[in-house]
Amino acid sequence: MLAQEQAQAVAAEAHKGFDAGETIIEHVSNSGLDHPLFHLPRVLGIDFSVTKHVLMLWLVAAFVFVVVTWTVRRYLGQDRRIPSGFMNALESVVEFVRDSIVLPNVGKKWVNTWTPLLLTFFIFILCANAIGLIPVFDTLAVLDHFVFRTGENSFVKQLLHGGTTATANFNVTAALAMITFGAIIVAGSKAHGFIKHWKNLVPHGLAWPIYILLIPIEIMGMFVRPFALTMRLAANMTGGHIAILSILSFVFLFTELFGRAAAGVGVGLAVSVPLSVGISFLEIIVVLVQAYVFTLLTAVFIGMAIHVHH
Amino acid sequence: MVGFYLISVAIGLGMIVIGAALGIGKFAAAAADGIARQPAAADKITAAVNLPLFLLEGVAILAEVFTLLVLLLGPKG
Repeated sequence: MLAQEQAQAVAAEAHKGFDAGETIIEHVSNSGLDHPLFHLPRVLGIDFSVTKHVLMLWLVAAFVFVVVTWTVRRYLGQDRRIPSGFMNALESVVEFVRDSIVLPNVGKKWVNTWTPLLLTFFIFILCANAIGLIPVFDTLAVLDHFVFRTGENSFVKQLLHGGTTATANFNVTAALAMITFGAIIVAGSKAHGFIKHWKNLVPHGLAWPIYILLIPIEIMGMFVRPFALTMRLAANMTGGHIAILSILSFVFLFTELFGRAAAGVGVGLAVSVPLSVGISFLEIIVVLVQAYVFTLLTAVFIGMAIHVHH
Repeated sequence: MVGFYLISVAIGLGMIVIGAALGIGKFAAAAADGIARQPAAADKITAAVNLPLFLLEGVAILAEVFTLLVLLLGPKG
């Protein structure tokens, strides 16, 4: 009897059809809080349980920490200080961030103060973006389906829910932009003193009616800049994945439309796979450019707080 | 009414793309023009074009996010 009911449930599920929108959202958004990966207690009414994106953040942070520390330690332990292997790549990244992002914007005096923060931003965002393009969990899903065959509620099954790109989550990018927001204030305070920094927001020596207009605009601008950073990074990361997934979902939509698998496979081979390969190449560029843009704009804003010219 | 609502989202997305494409096209044309006149200043021109280009892109992305929010939070049915 149970088998019959199960078969009926499966038939009903199949009859409901393929919902492209729901599937795509499931693949780019965070996994739900009702099925967290690890249960953690609530603190001050906030559920601290670990979801997929938090796990990805931890993985990326651990990866960056281990790889960078290990490489630099090995280099420092050498008898002759000649960079080799991965150290070369790391050095070129550090030099690129310092010489073409931080130095032109922040200036010679403060470059060593702000390079560490911006370098951390660049490498962390780059790795978090890039890991979304590597189908780790999709490979795990295939292996699980055909090889491991774990149960319905196993840890592996829980891992497969939700998207892989942590920076596609607006909360993550908002947290990163909050650091930028703080860094701008700290930079201005360090260069001019705390009170002078707030005075520097508006140009001095204007007629007083202009300040009534100018002060609200400048205060709004202070909040709009991190908000734009948040939206740009998260929307760019989400957008590319949605494009790839919606093109790939043509396969299932056409299978359903014509009622046979051959139609779907044909559309997949002729349209979906070539197009999504092209968009994946575009995504590689977007991953690099967005990490660069976030770092560059943070450097520009910090530079604007330090070099006030009105 | 749901149909009209979807059409408004589609038109909005199209207009965003038109605006962003016009902006980026003007930037690229002006930069190429400048570099053709003065190839020595190519680095400076690229650096000067970069920042407004990303700001423009940010505005377009913001508009797209809000359009998608209208789509996702709008009436169901």
